[in-house]
Amino acid sequence: MDKQKNYIQLIYRLMVGLLAIGFLYVIWPYISSVLLMLVFAFLFTTVLLSSVDSLERKIRNRGLSVLVVTVGLIAAISIFIGSFATNLADQAGGFSQRLETESFMDDFNSFIDKTKAKLPDFAKGGGEDVDAASKLNEIVGNVMSTLLTFAGALGSFIFNMIMVIIFTIILLLNYHQFKKSLVGFIPNKYFEVGLRLIYNIEQQVSNYLRGQLLAATSVAIMSIIGLYILNFFGANLTLVIFIGIIAGLANLIPLVGPFIGMLIAFAVALMNNLGNEAAQAHMLFNAIPSPFYILDVALMFIIVQQVDNNFITPLLVGESVGLHPIMVMIALLIGGTLIGPMGMLFAVPAAGIIKVIGHEISFVTKNAHLL
Amino acid sequence: MKSPLWSNIFKNWNSQESEKVTALKHVPVFDGLSDKELNEIEKLTHERTYQSGEHVFKNKAPSEGMFIIISGSVEIYLENTGDKNILAELNDRDFFGEIALLDTEPRSAGAIATTPSTLLGFFRPDLLSLMERNPALSSKILTNLGAVLAERLRKTNELLPKSDN
Repeated sequence: MDKQKNYIQLIYRLMVGLLAIGFLYVIWPYISSVLLMLVFAFLFTTVLLSSVDSLERKIRNRGLSVLVVTVGLIAAISIFIGSFATNLADQAGGFSQRLETESFMDDFNSFIDKTKAKLPDFAKGGGEDVDAASKLNEIVGNVMSTLLTFAGALGSFIFNMIMVIIFTIILLLNYHQFKKSLVGFIPNKYFEVGLRLIYNIEQQVSNYLRGQLLAATSVAIMSIIGLYILNFFGANLTLVIFIGIIAGLANLIPLVGPFIGMLIAFAVALMNNLGNEAAQAHMLFNAIPSPFYILDVALMFIIVQQVDNNFITPLLVGESVGLHPIMVMIALLIGGTLIGPMGMLFAVPAAGIIKVIGHEISFVTKNAHLL
Repeated sequence: MKSPLWSNIFKNWNSQESEKVTALKHVPVFDGLSDKELNEIEKLTHERTYQSGEHVFKNKAPSEGMFIIISGSVEIYLENTGDKNILAELNDRDFFGEIALLDTEPRSAGAIATTPSTLLGFFRPDLLSLMERNPALSSKILTNLGAVLAERLRKTNELLPKSDN
C-alpha cells in the first residue's frame, strides 16, 4: 500500500515538474530580458554593496549612501563614455578625411604592394590584382552602415541600463530585507544549511567580482603605461587612456578579453601611422619587421597579460572560485554558446555558484540524518 | 480627522516596542545596547515557528547561530545509545546555541520544541555582515558573548570539584 502511494506521489511530482518546465518554456521569451536585467542588477549590487555598507557606517544613512555611490558611478561611466565617444568621433573624422585624399590612397596601395612583394609566393593568393584602397573604402562603408544599426540598438540598451540601475538602487536599499524575506521561505529543517549556502554564494560572487575588478584596474593601468612607453619610442598612438580602460574591462572576460584591447590598439596604430614611412619600416629590437608598431603593441599586451596572469590575478582573485582551468574553458564555451559575450562574462562566477550549490547539496545528502 | 499623510510621516513616533525587541532586551548577549541598536539587531533576526516535537536542530548538525525563545518551550538534550539525557528545559526569553556565533563546529546537543514555539534566530552570517557595517555594535555583542561564555566556564569550573567528589 505504501509502495503504491509512493509511486502515485512520484508520478504526481513528475507531472508537476513537467508542467512547470513547459510553463517556463512558454513564458521564457517574455521574461528572459527581465531576468537578465535582474542578474545584472544583482551583480552590480554585489560589487557595490561593500561600498554602500562602509559609507553607511560613516554617515549612518542607508538611502544617502546608496545615492552617493550610484550617482558617483553613473557620473564616472557617463564621463568616460562621453569623452570616449567624442575622441573616437574626432579620430574617425580625421581618418575619413585622410581616406579621401589621393596621397593617402597611394600610400595605402604602395604599402599593400610592398607587403605583397615581401610575402612568399604561396601566400600571395590567386594573383588577381585587387585595388586595396577601394576595398578599404568598401570596408569603411560597411562599418558606417553597421554603426547605424548600432545606433538603433543603443536605444534599447539605454532603456535596459536605466532599468538595471533602478533595480540596483532598489536592491542596494533593501538588500538585507530582501535576503531576509528570501530566507523566510526555507523550511525549518534546512534553515541553517540554507543560510550558510546563501552566505557562501554571496562570498563567492563578491570575492570573484571584487578580485576581477581590481585585476581589471591593474591591467588598465599597466596597458596605459605600456602604451605611453611605446609612444615614447615613436608609436604615435592616440586614445591611450581609453584603450587602456577598454583593455582592463575586456579583461573581465577570461581568455578572449585580453585580445580586445590589443585589437583596438592595432586599429589605432594602423590609422595613425598609414603614410608614415618610418612607422612602416619599423623593426622591433632592430631585428624583426614590425610595420606600424603592430608587434610592439602585441608584445606590450602579452607582457601585461603575463604580469596579470602570473602575479596580479592569483594575488587578488586567488582561488576564490577554485575552478580547474579546463572547467573555466568549458564554462566559457557553454556561456558563450548560450548568451554570447555576456555569457562569457558571467560563465566563471556562474560555474563557481553551481560548484558551491553542488558542494552544499552533497553535504546535505551526506548529513541528511542530522537535519 | 487625522491626515493619512501626517500619520504616515510620524508613524514611528510613540510606537510600541516590538515583542522581538523586548525579547532581545532579556538576552545577556545584547546587554547595554540602545533601543536604536536593538532595532538594528531585530532587522537581522529571523522569526521561526516550530510545532510541538519538531527539532530546532539535532546533535552534531551544522550550526550557524543562536535562538531566543519568544514563546513556547524548548528542550536541550543529548542522546547516548537510545537514552535521552535532558540537559535543560527552556522557556520564554531564554536563549540557546550562542556558541555557534563564534565557531563552525557542529551542534554539541540537540534542541526540540516541546510546545508550539516561536523562536528568534540570530546567525553568524548576519553577525559577520554587521561587523562590516557597524563594527562598534558588533564589538559590543562579541564582548557580551565573551562574558556569557566566561560566566558559563566559571560555573563549569565550580561544578568540577563537585563531580570529582
